[in-house]
Amino acid sequence: MKFLSIFKLTIPVMMGYIPLGMAFGLLLSKMMIPWYYAFFMSTFIFAGSGQFLALTLFASQATILEIGIATFLLNLRHTFYGLSMISSFKDFSWKKNYLIFGLTDETFALLKTSNIEEKDREKVYLIITALNQSYWIIGSVVGAILGNILPFNYKGIEFSLTALFVVLSIELYKKSKLHKPFLIAVVIGFVGMLGFPSDKMLILSLSLAAAVLILFRRSLEDAR
Amino acid sequence: MQDSYLIAGIAVATIATMLTRFTPFIFFAKRKPSPLIKYIEWNMPLMIMVILVFYALKDVKWEQYPFGIAEIIGVAIAIAVHVKWGNALLSIIISTITYMFLIQKVFI
Repeated sequence: MKFLSIFKLTIPVMMGYIPLGMAFGLLLSKMMIPWYYAFFMSTFIFAGSGQFLALTLFASQATILEIGIATFLLNLRHTFYGLSMISSFKDFSWKKNYLIFGLTDETFALLKTSNIEEKDREKVYLIITALNQSYWIIGSVVGAILGNILPFNYKGIEFSLTALFVVLSIELYKKSKLHKPFLIAVVIGFVGMLGFPSDKMLILSLSLAAAVLILFRRSLEDAR
Repeated sequence: MQDSYLIAGIAVATIATMLTRFTPFIFFAKRKPSPLIKYIEWNMPLMIMVILVFYALKDVKWEQYPFGIAEIIGVAIAIAVHVKWGNALLSIIISTITYMFLIQKVFI
């Protein structure tokens, strides 16, 4: 697979990560934290909502233990992504550790839906993950240094991530054998969006979805 | 803010995030995947993706003008364009540009 076609796959993520990263960098610089911390956070933590949460916690002078627990709970959803990637990464070399490290919402979405020949897969996955992380780092550093003075009105561009999830849902729906899990997820997502506390919506909805999927396995599989 | 506090905070947030990403690989990678794990691998991603759509819309103020109309139109366009042409990038660009236009120019 050519680099250019891999790059094209990641454009939607770029459109989301650069402005979102800039928003993060901007917030960081408003808190009077030096710009290079944006670089460190995006390089080592590499979790969008997790980094916003960390800033909030820094601002309220939370203890180190609180930061650890809150970040862990917020990112717990990544465990589900990992569960869905175990066999995909199974035959890869030690480099898969970087893939696991970089398994964000959006990277997971791209990897899970891409159609890549098996012999190319490890290399392509690595490039996708590295490109995505570089967008995030570039966005956050640029935001921290000059977010205040850029004239372009990019308000609303973060919708590209919503659209990405919509498109990938359709792609996965086309591939799936069972259709009931889709309907269940629509109901859970809808209820979660309106009813669950905003900061716990994702982990609550995903846990509920996993529980329903496992508990009603027999009737879901029979219904095909 | 003190450098030592920031560095410790970033280190802890890094470890916490990595724990959530590495745990499944540490616990399940060595064993042969059971039918249950395979079943989850097959069906969970679609559920995750659908829930992520709603998650991305969770901060929309539905009871307040403009009642999330821009988001609904954006999602509808993404679905329609994707079902019609099946080109992910095209669906995302058209729906995002429409959405940006709506919130910047129409529903101010």
